[in-house]
Amino acid sequence: MVGAIGAFVGWALGAFWLGMALVFALELARQLLNLFQFEDWLRNRNRRNPPDGSGLWGELVSQVSRLHRRKQFHKQRILALFRELRRSTASMPDGVVALNQAREIVWFNRKAAELLGLKRKTDFGLSLAGLLRVPEFTRYLQKGDFTRGVVVPPRVGESIALEFQGVPYGEGQVFLLVRDVTRQIQLERMRKDFVANASHELRSPLTVIAGYLETLALDSELPSELRPPLEEMRRQSERMTAIISDLLELSRLEASDEQVEGATIDITALMAVLRKDILAREGMIHSIDVRIESPENLRGDLGLIQSAFWNLLDNAVKYSPGGGTIVLRWWVDKQGGHFTVTDQGPGIPAEHLPRLTERFYRVDKGRARHMGGSGLGLAIVRHVLQRHGAELMISSEEGRGSTFACHFPVTRLISSTVANP
Amino acid sequence: MEKSDLSQHISRRFNEDLEKIRGRVLAMGGFVEDQLAKAVTALVEGDSRLGESVVQDDFQVNAMEVTIDEECSRILATRAPAASDLRLIVAIIKAITDLERMGDECEKIGLIAARLAVEERPANKYREVKHLGRLVQSIVHDALDAFARLDPDAALRVARMDKAVDEEYEAIQRQSITFMMEDPRNISRALDVMWIVRALERIGDHAKNICEYVIFMVHGKDIRHIRLEDVETVLERRTEGG
Repeated sequence: MVGAIGAFVGWALGAFWLGMALVFALELARQLLNLFQFEDWLRNRNRRNPPDGSGLWGELVSQVSRLHRRKQFHKQRILALFRELRRSTASMPDGVVALNQAREIVWFNRKAAELLGLKRKTDFGLSLAGLLRVPEFTRYLQKGDFTRGVVVPPRVGESIALEFQGVPYGEGQVFLLVRDVTRQIQLERMRKDFVANASHELRSPLTVIAGYLETLALDSELPSELRPPLEEMRRQSERMTAIISDLLELSRLEASDEQVEGATIDITALMAVLRKDILAREGMIHSIDVRIESPENLRGDLGLIQSAFWNLLDNAVKYSPGGGTIVLRWWVDKQGGHFTVTDQGPGIPAEHLPRLTERFYRVDKGRARHMGGSGLGLAIVRHVLQRHGAELMISSEEGRGSTFACHFPVTRLISSTVANP
Repeated sequence: MEKSDLSQHISRRFNEDLEKIRGRVLAMGGFVEDQLAKAVTALVEGDSRLGESVVQDDFQVNAMEVTIDEECSRILATRAPAASDLRLIVAIIKAITDLERMGDECEKIGLIAARLAVEERPANKYREVKHLGRLVQSIVHDALDAFARLDPDAALRVARMDKAVDEEYEAIQRQSITFMMEDPRNISRALDVMWIVRALERIGDHAKNICEYVIFMVHGKDIRHIRLEDVETVLERRTEGG
């Protein structure tokens, strides 16, 4: 069309090529102007109205502005969603910190900032362990085992205890939940204190009662019909004393989770003492077989270990009323040291095994109480072993007998040549 | 292409090394903070076992210093760092010495605390020592925070707080002298308390040193042996000049 106009103008002016060039030049100038306007609008499209244009330029402008509107719309939506997300995490009662692979802070919410003293502007990209500098927490992050949380007791001058729970996600990133557990820890301590105090308070009156009962039982003028009930009272008061002293021992053990350092325990001597004590008991019908298969000794607290082993041996005797042989065995392999007590009693049904170390848990409610146990023996054993880094494993076969095994880690072993140079 | 990848790889590894070592220094700092808190608590609460545990654990601080020191030497030898990286390494080497000394002072406090625990505590339950201990603890904490955040302004603020420690130290010193003059039987305990207070004051000084390293690290300016009032002008002059 431009060519036709050019030909017409050229014909009118009488100079064909000149007219042609003139018209093309004008057309080019118009297009360039449009292009500049378009570019100018594109650059400032948020502030300026689209230029008026017809034909191809107008079409281009409307296409671009449609794209632009759609993008704006999505951007707004995502922004709103993001704000919503940020608001909701900010109002979460727990602190949340996102860490990258290098355990540097990527993001945290308001509660985390409050609990950990983080600063919003400066602390992104810093190492969280470096900012907190709590040895327990540093170890927790380094270990990288997030199946359980870690509780950090309040540091001096502060009053809150914190619990951290890592949640791994993506490629090595970690979401860290931070909770204020001051109240739970207080409650836990109150519970432990209560048990300890109550047991302590009960002990004194009980001692008086037991004392009088004993004196009465020795009284020769006592009518004979009163003897059986008095004897029963005496037995029951003895049992109560045993329960209370076990409760006290348990609360002492619970007071700390720290590993016991201790000294060398001579296994041979310990076994000999255990054997002698149990055989000295009235009415023993069992035979005791001691097998020491390795010369290594154990490092630990003699009093605690002796009480734990004694409890196991005592149980074995109590719960195999038919007599038989009880085997005490000590051996060492690559995994560590092992002490086992095996009896030939009726065994324990499998469904009871996991709950056996709970306090006052009884397999056979009627019978066990009759035997005068406190119901706390295995709980004590478990706690003693915990404080030595050891584990209690129970295996049992009904009708054949049970085995109680204590597995000590290698670090707890002392080769006898070093112990007795 | 390959070559640029390689160089990027090396610098990334180097960065990781630096970050790791900084993390170790802060972990060591955290341990020292813990030791300090335990030592002061041992004295104030008369807990001899806690005091002994501080003494027993001091070897860990020493071990950390040795490993970090070796790591720094290794980085110096293999990477030959320059500019801010070099300043970081130098500052770390100095900071761990100060941290190790702080650990030693904590050990001292723990030892005396364990000894004093068997004696009857004074009527005020070492209130002044407790107060000074709190102050020093917060200084150490803030100094290490400044180190973690590489924040020279915070470092300068903390360094100024050291003055309060010095004043407190002198006050307790005067008080102890009064106690000793009142009743000669107090002398032995007052001397022990003086040792503890002295150790706390030294810990404050070491914390101040760490603050100075932070400023050195960030601004590349040595502000030791300059009065704190002048430090700001020195730093300003530098920023204007550079």
